[in-house]
Amino acid sequence: MSVEPFNKLVKLAARAFYDDITTKGDNQPKTGRSDNRGIAVVVLDALTRRQWVREEDLAKDLKLHSKQLRRTLRFFEEEKLITRDHRRETAKGAKIFSAAVAATADGQHPTKEGEEKIKLHTHSYCCLDYAQIYDVVRYRMHRMKKKLKDELDEKNTVQEYICPNCAKRYTALDALRLISMDDEYFHCESCNGELVAESDKLAAQEGGDGDDNARKRRREKLRDMLDKLEVQLKPLVEQLTRVKDLPVPEFGTLQAWEARASAAARSNGDSSGNDPSRSSQGLGGTPMPFLGDTKVEVAFSGVEGKGEGIKSEAESTSLKVLPPWMIKQGMNLTKEQRGEIKQEAKMDGSSVAVEFSDDKKSTESDDKKNLQDEYVKAYYAALLKKQQELEEAAKKQQELSNTSLFDGLSGTSSGRQVGMKSKRDEDEGDDVEWEEAPVAGNSNENYKVDLNVEADATAEAEAEVEDDDDVDWEEG
Amino acid sequence: MFFHIVLERNMQLHPRHFGRNLRENLVSKLMKDVEGTCSGRHGFVVAITGIENIGKGLIRDGTGFVTFPVKYQCVVFRPFKGEILEAVVTMVNKMGFFAEAGPVQIFVSNHLIPDDMEFQSGDMPNYTTSDGSVKIQKDSEVRLKIIGTRVDATEIFCIGTIKDDFLGVINDPATA
Ligand SMILES: [Zn+2]
Repeated sequence: MSVEPFNKLVKLAARAFYDDITTKGDNQPKTGRSDNRGIAVVVLDALTRRQWVREEDLAKDLKLHSKQLRRTLRFFEEEKLITRDHRRETAKGAKIFSAAVAATADGQHPTKEGEEKIKLHTHSYCCLDYAQIYDVVRYRMHRMKKKLKDELDEKNTVQEYICPNCAKRYTALDALRLISMDDEYFHCESCNGELVAESDKLAAQEGGDGDDNARKRRREKLRDMLDKLEVQLKPLVEQLTRVKDLPVPEFGTLQAWEARASAAARSNGDSSGNDPSRSSQGLGGTPMPFLGDTKVEVAFSGVEGKGEGIKSEAESTSLKVLPPWMIKQGMNLTKEQRGEIKQEAKMDGSSVAVEFSDDKKSTESDDKKNLQDEYVKAYYAALLKKQQELEEAAKKQQELSNTSLFDGLSGTSSGRQVGMKSKRDEDEGDDVEWEEAPVAGNSNENYKVDLNVEADATAEAEAEVEDDDDVDWEEG
Repeated sequence: MFFHIVLERNMQLHPRHFGRNLRENLVSKLMKDVEGTCSGRHGFVVAITGIENIGKGLIRDGTGFVTFPVKYQCVVFRPFKGEILEAVVTMVNKMGFFAEAGPVQIFVSNHLIPDDMEFQSGDMPNYTTSDGSVKIQKDSEVRLKIIGTRVDATEIFCIGTIKDDFLGVINDPATA
C-alpha cells in the first residue's frame, strides 16, 4: 500500500482547486494580515505527511492558531477530503493516542488508574480520506467539463427573448402566449414588437442586434476555457489515471487505527501476555472494540485455529455425507453421513469459542487470569495432540470402513470427539445433543470442563482423562 | 410521467338527479367535470378508474343542491424536467416548433434544434438537414427531452430539446 501517488494527487488537487481558498468570512475585510490564502495547501500538504493527527498537535506543528486550523479543516470536511473524529477523553486517553502515534517499543504505558483526576476534554482528530479524495477530484473534473460542454452546446438552457422596443424580456416558457397568427415570429405582449432571441449568458451582454456575433464570441470564449482546463489540469488527470488501479490507503476509523498502531507497538516490544492497565480500562472509559485484539486472544486463537483446521480436515475425511443412492441396507452410518445432521453442532462449537474469548476479555484481568491462560494453553495443546491422534486413527478406520466389516463406530466416535470439543468450549455441560448421538458411544463419560472454575486443575490430569477416552475408543 | 392516485372532490348535484340513479348520475358528472382537466399540482387527469368512497350529502340552503364529497382513483399525467417524451409537431415557425404529447404542449426553440437543421419557410414551414434526409414539419413525430416546465394552477407548459443523443424525428409523415 503505497501512499505516495495518492499524496501527489492530494498535493496537485490542493494547488489546482484550493489555492486561493480563504477561510475568512466574506464580510471581513481582506487586509494583508488576515489574508490567509494558501493555507489550505499548507494544511493539506501537512496532512499528507501524517495519518490520524490530533488537531491541536497539527496546529502546533504548523504554528497556526487552532481556531484558524479548525476552520480550514471544517472546510475540508465539507469538501469531503478529510474525515474527522471528536471524542471526549481524559488526559490518559490522549496519552494512549500519543503512544499509538509514537508506536514505541514498550514501557511508556499509561499510568495506573485513579492517579489522575478524571477530567474530560473534547479532542478532535483528522485524517485524509484518500478513497473519497479520489472520487471527489474525479467528480469535480467531470462537473467542470460537463458544465462548459453543456454551455457550449447550449444544452438545457432556456432561450430568452427580448423586445427591442420596450426591452421587455420573455423566456421560451412564455412561447404559447407570444405566437401570432400573422407571421412566424414572437410578438411583445405590450407593444406587439417583434421579439429577438437573446443568446448570451456567459459573454458580455450585448444589445439586441448582432446576436449571431455575440453567440460566436461566446462560443469561442467557452471553447477557450475548455482548452485551458484541459491543459492546466493535465498533471492532475494524469495522476488520477496513475492512481486508478492502485489500492487506496486506508487508515480506518480513529479507534481502529489507534488499536492497530498500539498493537504493532506491543508486538514489537513486550510480549508478556496482556497488559492489565490497557485491557481493563479501555480508553478513559470510551468503548474500544478493537482492543479486543489483546494478547490473550492471539495466543488463544493460535492454538484454536490449528485445532480447527485439523478438525475440519477430519470432518471432511471421516464425515462425508453419502448420497442417498449410496446408502444401502445393512450399512451402519452416522446421521452425519446420512446428511441428517446439519452443521449446527460444528457451528456451535466455533461460535462458542468466540464467545468464550469475549468472556475472557471482559473478565477482570489479574493473576488468576494469567494462570487460567497458562492452563488454557496447556489444555488445548494437550487436547490438540489428542485430537490429532484420534483423527489419524479415524482416518485409518475410515479406510477400513470401505469393507463391509465396518460397524460405524469409528465414524461416530470421531464425530463425537468433535462435538465434545465444542462442549468443552461451551463451559456449561449442556451436552444433550451429543448424548443423543444415534450410535451409543462406547464411552459414556461426559467430560465437563469449566475453564473458569478449573483454574487449579492441571493439564496433565486432563490429558489423562483424554487417555481414558482414547482407550475406550480403541476398544470400540 | 403517469401516476395512479386518489383525489377528492366536492360534487354539487342538482335535485333532479336524486333517485335510485343518484350514484350513477354523480359518477358520470364527476367524469364530465374532471377528466381532461389539469391541475398544476397533480397534472392532467387522464381517466377516472374507480370511486373510492362517496360521503354524506349536505343540502345547501336555498338552492336544494346537495354537496357530496367524492374520493376517486384516477390516472394523471404530469410532465417533469428531464423526462423524455414522444410528441407530434403541431406548428413550425422561425422561432422553433410546437408539439403535443397528449394534453401537454411543448415548445422547442430553434437553438435547441440541432445546428445542421435549417428553417425553411413556405406553405409547409419546416426544419431540414442540408442533405434533406431529416425534416421536421407539422405532424412529424419527434422524441424530445423536457428541459423546463411552467406549472400554473390550471395549466402546464413545457419547453424541450431535440439536441441530444437519440432525440429528434422518429416518424416522418411524408415517408410513412
Ligand atoms: Zn415590447
